Amino acid sequence: MKPFDYARPGDVAEAVRVATLPGAVFLGGGTNLVDHLKLGVARPDLVVDVRTLTSREVTDTEDGGLRAGAAVTNSELAADRRVRERYPVLAQALLAGATGQLRNTATTGGNPLQRTRCVYFQDVTTPCNKREPGTGCSAIGGTTRNHAVLGASQACIATHPSDMAVALAALDACVQVLGPTGERTVPFTELHRLPGDDPSRDTVLEQGELITAMGLPPLPAARTSAYRKVRDRASYAFALVSVAAVLDVRDGVVQDVRIALGGVAHKPWRATRAEQALRGGPATPDAFAAAAAEELADARPQPGIDGGNGFKVPLVTRTLVATLRDLTAAQEG
Amino acid sequence: MRRPDGQAKVRGEFSYAGDLHAEGMLHGVTLRSPHPHARLLRIDTAAARALPGVHAVLTAADVPGDLHFGLTLRDEPVLADGVVRYAGEPVAVVAAIDPRTARRAARAIVVEYEPLPAQTDPTLAADAEPLHAEGNVYRHLAYECGDPRARGVVTVENTYRIGMQDPAFLAPEAGMATPTADGGVRLEVATQWLHSDQRQIAWATGLPPEKVQVVLAGVGGAFGGREDVTLHTHACLLALATGRPVKMEYTREESFLAHRQRHPGTIWLRHSADASGRVVSVEGRVVLDGGAYASTSPVVIANTVTLLQGPYRVDNGRFEGWSVRTNNPSCGAMRGFGVPQAAFAHESQMDALAAALDLDPLEIRLRNALRRGDTATFGQRFTQPTPVREVIEGLRAVPLPPAGGKLPGGVGRASSPGSVRRGVGYAVTMKNLAFSEGHVDESTATVSLRDGHATVHCACAEVGQGFVTVAEQVARTVLGADTVTVTQPDTLIASAGSTSASRQTMASGTAVHRACVAVRDRLLARVARERGLDAGLLSIQDGAVTCDGTPLVDVAAATPGHTVRATEHFAHPPTTALGQGDVYVGFAFSAQRAVVDVDVELGLVSVVQIASCQDVGTVVNPTQLLGQIEGGIVQGMGLAVMEEVVVVDGHITNPEFQDYLIPTIVDAPEVVSVYVTDPQPGMPHGWKGVGEPPLCTAVPAVAAAVRDATGLPLPSVPIRPEHIALGIGTPPTVTRTTPRPPATTGGTALSEEPADRPGTWESEGAAGH
Ligand SMILES: Cc1cc2nc3c(=O)[nH]c(=O)nc-3n(C[C@H](O)[C@H](O)[C@H](O)COP(=O)(O)OP(=O)(O)OC[C@H]3O[C@@H](n4cnc5c(N)ncnc54)[C@H](O)[C@@H]3O)c2cc1C
Repeated sequence: MKPFDYARPGDVAEAVRVATLPGAVFLGGGTNLVDHLKLGVARPDLVVDVRTLTSREVTDTEDGGLRAGAAVTNSELAADRRVRERYPVLAQALLAGATGQLRNTATTGGNPLQRTRCVYFQDVTTPCNKREPGTGCSAIGGTTRNHAVLGASQACIATHPSDMAVALAALDACVQVLGPTGERTVPFTELHRLPGDDPSRDTVLEQGELITAMGLPPLPAARTSAYRKVRDRASYAFALVSVAAVLDVRDGVVQDVRIALGGVAHKPWRATRAEQALRGGPATPDAFAAAAAEELADARPQPGIDGGNGFKVPLVTRTLVATLRDLTAAQEG
Repeated sequence: MRRPDGQAKVRGEFSYAGDLHAEGMLHGVTLRSPHPHARLLRIDTAAARALPGVHAVLTAADVPGDLHFGLTLRDEPVLADGVVRYAGEPVAVVAAIDPRTARRAARAIVVEYEPLPAQTDPTLAADAEPLHAEGNVYRHLAYECGDPRARGVVTVENTYRIGMQDPAFLAPEAGMATPTADGGVRLEVATQWLHSDQRQIAWATGLPPEKVQVVLAGVGGAFGGREDVTLHTHACLLALATGRPVKMEYTREESFLAHRQRHPGTIWLRHSADASGRVVSVEGRVVLDGGAYASTSPVVIANTVTLLQGPYRVDNGRFEGWSVRTNNPSCGAMRGFGVPQAAFAHESQMDALAAALDLDPLEIRLRNALRRGDTATFGQRFTQPTPVREVIEGLRAVPLPPAGGKLPGGVGRASSPGSVRRGVGYAVTMKNLAFSEGHVDESTATVSLRDGHATVHCACAEVGQGFVTVAEQVARTVLGADTVTVTQPDTLIASAGSTSASRQTMASGTAVHRACVAVRDRLLARVARERGLDAGLLSIQDGAVTCDGTPLVDVAAATPGHTVRATEHFAHPPTTALGQGDVYVGFAFSAQRAVVDVDVELGLVSVVQIASCQDVGTVVNPTQLLGQIEGGIVQGMGLAVMEEVVVVDGHITNPEFQDYLIPTIVDAPEVVSVYVTDPQPGMPHGWKGVGEPPLCTAVPAVAAAVRDATGLPLPSVPIRPEHIALGIGTPPTVTRTTPRPPATTGGTALSEEPADRPGTWESEGAAGH
């Protein structure tokens, strides 16, 4: 591990100030960052501990939404009654991730910023454009079962691993950010980037920008929402693919729908094309499959049957169809 | 009786090899090859040596004794010698004052490689340019029995694939070597076989074996992965070079790179049966990828090939196999030792036959079940209890679990109940016990008794299997001892062989039993002499010496202050080379039924229950027995549905527990375990080995259940979600054949020359490969 300085500022303003220097990183629950420090994937000069600085409360907002402070743990957020009732997709996504012990430590600010689980990114002996820009992508032509089929580039085919983030993308959450130049709000769907030719940056956050809270807009339709995750074992495993969906159906017609896909791209993938195809149309399995096909029309899987990831296209389709089918049944009986 | 090490382990107080510590010890670190195949052009250690705190940097040139070691062929260099043959091969080792300095020094070593093409396909490697002076074929074997061309009315064939499995023990390799005053070295290490380590360390250090003392340190799981030497020799060389204790401990990643894996394999099988389901002939071919160095590859291949017949009577057959050198990770012993591969293939075939003949899967197995007195395809007669029918009947009596229960997909409840199908699958297997093919299978124990306290000394490595409990139980039972100490195993006593092959209760348990009996007889003789009684009337019951049933004196008070001691040796009757008689010491049989719920839409599997009926000889300790059954089942289920070391171009891409998935408690099924107890002849109480069969059987049982739920052929393990969701895999070829009775009967004949190269599989039906 490379030695680094550790700072525990008195408040968020000071935290942002000291973190403005390149080489500074924030420490949330540490469940991802500390691993990366040990592996040599992260080599910061300064670690700024913000665990006790941001809010650890979930509060109602005036417009009927919720606001979760960045220090709220994943366990606390998943257990919050308002979250479970109004945004079940979020509670389910949180509970589908990691383990009880990890969720007790992981934070609302840290979870969406966890970094990819690409084996090459985590193996410092292999080239990786995300870890060391310009060195190349080892995943292309390597083992790609966990890699992207949408929005990838020649520089990087990594996926974003967070379950929670997929739900937040579907819910149109917004991220409250405090930076050197003040506060700003970033729509959650715009927080993460596609890799393009600079995969080293996962998000649009600038050096020193701190997530202070996550905002959940009022969304009555989200009461019928669900998260579905396909993985290789029953717990303690990342998603091969996942679907977060909000669905409002009346008389067999889709009134409103929000869909985000996990395990398929460098960011939680908001499936706007599928949503468009579905809105105002019939809530039938055929329509769901057609919408999935629409969304996946541009999918570019990595080659190979066992080593490749072409299976993700039909698997996402089935997961999406099953999720929407069950949400329809829940409303229409 | 409580397991003596149980509480300490559960409480986290047990001292594992990773906890070893000595004043002034140095830390050893290994520099490994990043290439699967390369010429070593130059190694420059000057910069590493010059770093403050570095005490030694060793390369092949610094190995004082014989550079090469290995469990069968001595083909593996202690440190790379001109060429590296797998990614992760040790090139140099460093000892320094702390791990960080040692790691920094390792990074400062300059190595120039000339990468060479890596041979990673075992089928091609068999014929390709030799990767080593010893050639690329570790072993080829082929034999026939009866008339392999005999046919029944139906013939099924398919090619099965088994992935590479890691032993995944929880405590990575660790040990500490200390120079001794006589110029030798003492190594405390987590291992399975002290004397084999001692011998191989002696080769490399150039020391006589008696100057190399190996002592068992706390072992956190083994499963075969500690049978080969890894850091053992390096730590000793560094200790001798520096004159200081040197501790080495691998990271998880290094552990994956350094120890031996289970052989991945490709098995082609063709079974022909008559209309009643009786197997008429079996033909099989096996290719196992042995990786860069031999380890036990020549022995494992014999297990896979000879046990392809399964626990069934097969009079006509032809069997052939290769274990091959490649630039992949080296493979060697792992729980089951070649049999899980064979079991997955032959049980898949039995189900395919049953389907082709519209027979019940248990019925076809019963019709073919081996009986005592039958002869194996490899010529050995089954003279011991052979309760194949009994394990099947015992299994059949276990009721099926109720419908429902946890859905597949785990905590996230990913599955819709509507897409979940229940499947039930059966498997029956035969596992050889103990060493084979003429390897002496023996152990020695010394037992002493003083004032009711017994001390047992044996070189049997306790790796979690529970030998310490068995030894204590025996001493209490035979000697009526109040307290028992099982001392730390070391090489001061004769070899106990490896803790592998389901053999230690049989070998070391029997040696301990014999030593206890000898101590008891001496004690009783002494009591008889002192009291003027007939020793023949004396016995030990409930902690007391009794005469003709009447208690005389407590064992603890029988010979105050006097120690009675005995050393006894045990060896199984010798086995022979293949084709010359009894290749194996004995066999155990096991039947399992797996019940799974499969989400056929998303490919998710939940293993609901596994019922097991196993031939265990006699139940020595019910709790430990269940532990072996449950552990074996979960490990087998892991191989069936999730565990695989993924090797791409010679590199392991998942050398850590994030991507190498082993079952968690959420994945583990309910286990219902019943037993057939038919005492094993020649063993105290009729006990026999139990550790490997449950794993061997669980792999095909789980696969069969998933096939039953999905209707898919699934000829490869591990079965992954995409295999189910997309139906990947070729079904068996079923051919209606014209019956052809065997032209010859009986006899097993070895054939020296391969009938074909491993790549060319013959086929009777449409597709064979
Ligand atoms: C064994 C294991 C299994 C797991 N399985 C899953 C899983 O199945 N699904 C899943 O979704 N996740 C899984 N995870 C990941 C886990 O959810 C994340 O590690 C966790 O959510 C990260 O939160 P944290 O607070 O610990 O972040 P940290 O590790 O503290 O930080 C992560 C990143 O966010 C930055 N950061 C932290 N807080 C802030 C802030 N307020 N503002 C700006 N930047 C910040 C840090 O600098 C760092 O770059 C698993 C982790 C492990 C170790």
